[in-house]
Amino acid sequence: MLRLAWRNLWRNPRRTLVTLSALVLGTGAIVGLHSYSETAYGELNRILTTQFVGHLQVHGRGWQADPELGNTVRNPVAVETTLADRLPGATSTRRVLGSGLAGTRASSAGVAVLGLEPDRDPLLSVVRGAALDGTSPRQIAVGTGVAEMLEVEPGAELVLVGQAADGSVANDRYTVRAVVDAGSGEMNGSAVFLRIADAQEFFGLGDGVHQIVVRLPTREEDVSGPVAALRSALDVATLEALGWSEIMPEFKGMIDEKRKGSQWIDIVVFVIAALGVFNAMTMATFERTREFGVMASVGTRRSRILGLVVTEALLQGAIGFALGAGIATALVLGAGSIHIGGLTQGMDVMGIRLPTVLELHLQPSALRNAAVVSLLTVLAGGLLPALRASRLQPAEATRSV
Amino acid sequence: MLRRNMTAFPLVLVLVSSSAQAAEKPPPDVPPCPSGQEKPDIAALVRRTQQMLEGASSVATMSMSIRTKAWSRKLKMKVWTRGRDYALIRVLEGGPRETGLMTLKREKQLWNYLPQAGRVMKLPSGMMGDSWMGSDFTNDDLVKGSSLADDYDAKVLEILRREASEAWRVELTPKKDAAVVWGRVELVVDRKTCLPLEQVFFDEDGKQARRMAFGDFKRVGWRDFPARMVVTPADSARETAVVYEEIEFDTPVADDTFSLRRLEAGR
Repeated sequence: MLRLAWRNLWRNPRRTLVTLSALVLGTGAIVGLHSYSETAYGELNRILTTQFVGHLQVHGRGWQADPELGNTVRNPVAVETTLADRLPGATSTRRVLGSGLAGTRASSAGVAVLGLEPDRDPLLSVVRGAALDGTSPRQIAVGTGVAEMLEVEPGAELVLVGQAADGSVANDRYTVRAVVDAGSGEMNGSAVFLRIADAQEFFGLGDGVHQIVVRLPTREEDVSGPVAALRSALDVATLEALGWSEIMPEFKGMIDEKRKGSQWIDIVVFVIAALGVFNAMTMATFERTREFGVMASVGTRRSRILGLVVTEALLQGAIGFALGAGIATALVLGAGSIHIGGLTQGMDVMGIRLPTVLELHLQPSALRNAAVVSLLTVLAGGLLPALRASRLQPAEATRSV
Repeated sequence: MLRRNMTAFPLVLVLVSSSAQAAEKPPPDVPPCPSGQEKPDIAALVRRTQQMLEGASSVATMSMSIRTKAWSRKLKMKVWTRGRDYALIRVLEGGPRETGLMTLKREKQLWNYLPQAGRVMKLPSGMMGDSWMGSDFTNDDLVKGSSLADDYDAKVLEILRREASEAWRVELTPKKDAAVVWGRVELVVDRKTCLPLEQVFFDEDGKQARRMAFGDFKRVGWRDFPARMVVTPADSARETAVVYEEIEFDTPVADDTFSLRRLEAGR
């Protein structure tokens, strides 16, 4: 029957080609678009998880909802030991987050004060000056925007004033060591960075830290497994462990939203392709009314005629999918990486710098979606004409031209 | 304890004692208290209230206690003012990093001297409404940047009748172009004595921001001065109380008190 169906397809090659091209375009569009957008989401996720947020974080309980200065992880060493035990391969860094005024005799501005481990934390890239080192005290790095606002450069002196955890006035004097890019315009324009020990001293936190930022050796988006594993081992009465999607729900929401949007695109592509297939196959069965009549009158069972027409549809679907997916794969792999810097222009979305180069990868999910769509298209487009063909009255059908 | 200044300089002593003669009677430019009136001259009432609370200059020693759910602390400080343009606050006693801290106001600009840093920092303009050193008082409260009488239009909203007393509830709305911190202020003044009882501050959106209650009135010259002021913000469980230990009004304050160079020297 397969051979019969195959032969039938090429009895009217032009029509078969029209149907195929609709399928190829549909499949190609879905595979290409999905690969592009999934690569983009993956890249944003990589930036998010490797830089500011990490895959997951440990805080003092309730800190995420209400980041009070005094609410810290009091024993970071114990948490790090648990981490090494429960999540092998994970790396972590400590951070302190506070706020204050940074200024000079001539000007000042409200800033976020971030204490970090300069040797372990990949957040900062030096624009001018030298990286903070883990040992020299009272050095400060300032975001590019802050440097511009306060007119300070490496070597300058900067005074910080803020409120310590006990309510007293924290104030101290630092030497600007570097002007840095912290990965987003928002951070660069509002943050200064201290060695974590200096930040703990400034805010009067003792050994306490606000965040333990954990990075996992994975590109998986879903980190609920590791989060649950960690939670079960931590003292949740005083600590909280949160995955990146709980820390940045807006970001997760945005990606979910966009994915939903691309499902709609799939549906539209599907409808258009299905209409084409339906049209072509209806025409084909009409033209072959006489042939089906003859088949029926020589005793071919209805189910066999139905099977034949459906097989023809499935064959077209398979060929269309293979060609479409093949072309899209070739394009995606051929393009390799594309520069979208002109499009994104260093723009930030929710505090995450948009990437300028996307390394395109073929997404298995895109192929799967395209396969499902092709199958549905040919079934929807082929089934009705097939049913019609199988129900023809042999006597009448043989008389038609 | 409140006492009048007895400066060592004879000339000043003469001035002080001559003003002390008339001390019990308010000067002629202070409007009298419109006791019990149904429709008082409201602008005059606000001016009287302001003159009661402020002088042409002042020197005060006060303690400030701040209480939040996480911590509480106490500072002792001294404040010098001259008109609305000059003020200096110096923390006399506080935590190790804040003793010696100073805030200077000169005309529209503010500086802080930070003792641990050993440096002066200029505050961004537009910080008058911000918290002074983590308290519930604003910079504006402490350096007397704006004037209830000059920067606001006043009208009586209603007469509040309480158990033993009655009070005017006065609404103050900022005049156009007035550089003020609040969207609206309500002032409650006792109808018999004209003593201010409380002030309620509303932000630009009309939401209540905080309440300031006056109490513990002490006789200072002709004034009945509230030696205790308590500020409670509307949206958090905290409170700042200021208790004046000493205050003198209209005494001469040396020019260099408000000098930036002196501030930078940390003296």
